[in-house]
Amino acid sequence: MTAMKIWNFFPREALYECYQCARCTGSCPALEVAPAYGPRETILKCLNLGHEAVVQDEKIWLCCTCNVCEDRCPQKIPISDLLVALRNSAARRGNIPGKLSIAIELLAKTGRSMIVHQLDEMRAHHGLEPLPPAPVDEIRQILKKTRLNEVIDF
Amino acid sequence: MKYALYLGCAIPIKYPGFEAATRMVCKRLGIDLVDLPFGCCPPPTSMKLVHYDSWLALAARNICLAEEQGLDLLTLCSGCVNTLKEANQVLKRNDSKRRKVNKVLEEHNHNFKGSIEVTHILDVLYQDSVVEKLLKEKLIDIPLRVGCHYGCHYFRPPQVMYPEELSPAESYVPVKMDHLLSLIGMEPTEYSRKFLCCGSPLGANMDMDAGYAITRQKIMHIQERHIQAISVVCPSCFEQFDMGQIALSRKTKDLPKIPTFYLTQLIGLSLGMTPKQVGLDVHRVKSRKLLESINISG
Repeated sequence: MTAMKIWNFFPREALYECYQCARCTGSCPALEVAPAYGPRETILKCLNLGHEAVVQDEKIWLCCTCNVCEDRCPQKIPISDLLVALRNSAARRGNIPGKLSIAIELLAKTGRSMIVHQLDEMRAHHGLEPLPPAPVDEIRQILKKTRLNEVIDF
Repeated sequence: MKYALYLGCAIPIKYPGFEAATRMVCKRLGIDLVDLPFGCCPPPTSMKLVHYDSWLALAARNICLAEEQGLDLLTLCSGCVNTLKEANQVLKRNDSKRRKVNKVLEEHNHNFKGSIEVTHILDVLYQDSVVEKLLKEKLIDIPLRVGCHYGCHYFRPPQVMYPEELSPAESYVPVKMDHLLSLIGMEPTEYSRKFLCCGSPLGANMDMDAGYAITRQKIMHIQERHIQAISVVCPSCFEQFDMGQIALSRKTKDLPKIPTFYLTQLIGLSLGMTPKQVGLDVHRVKSRKLLESINISG
């Protein structure tokens, strides 16, 4: 596994733009229903503990990626870029929810992120032709080249 | 008017009724659709979080297929449009990322040029020429109080999704679905938390119950305003509301169930298609009684 530089995704100095007003956290839908950190605390932890510690915590996966935090940030900090970078880095260290790694594996193996039984019958019920097979080989080759296997075996 | 139709995964596989309704509506309104051998978008809520480079390369491949036909990409899902619009913007602006992606794609004879735009069915239907055509049709009024849910990824981040239409605060508040539905006699109704998450990504990736807790809050606010129908433009949001209300009602008996519709299903009904033709028969929260109360059946 190769390490990933999260500062290629998010400008490190933007962390210092945050004055902890918590407008982001007040808007966070995940924080209301789950033991998530919320964007304010995530930024604070990156400053105080360093991102290396943050990416080991499975709570970073509770974010819904709804982007409300970034939209409402008075400092215009690209928070969603930070949250994407942290999770990319976490996945490389093996911190990835089981449901998500199964979903990615399915995508890499079938070219689509969903699978159902009796698809042709279901589509015929709605007057639709069978769905042509996904270009799996090409997709797998692309994923091999971009080194998805550093994170997920497929 | 001609587009490359990007179906994504959830619609053709889980909700083919949306595809059927969309194809029929587009045909009636003179929008030609071309099918191409696309793959998964891939989602901003899964692949992008796990492996950004893989996400960008697969998205670029989909964009290239449309570029090769000289067609803009028409998406039907908030997640797909988010991925494809962002990848398109990133690759148009960032030379080094574009070079890197093109190196991966070259052996498959694709080359990202940045020559097309990515759009969503809602924006396509909202164009003046399409609305004019719609209004010339004999439309059946659907006099119901409707709550629109756009889906976060349809319009956020606004700098990526609607850079030309930003407010002075550099934000974007979507209105097109509300406007469009008022044209077919519906009564778009505001509700609290309209622009917040449906709960789907949290449920799919981590904790189903926590995801449904978000859905529950939305449904309570929707019910507060006596809304009779929910309209969405995303299959993930649809599933969260449709399946979610069934799951939630097992726990809370008195929770009302409000039928959810995909936008083109409602437009299709107004154009005289039957509920079965637009695929409403397979929805978990049934709309039959509600539609019969306004004389729509079949």
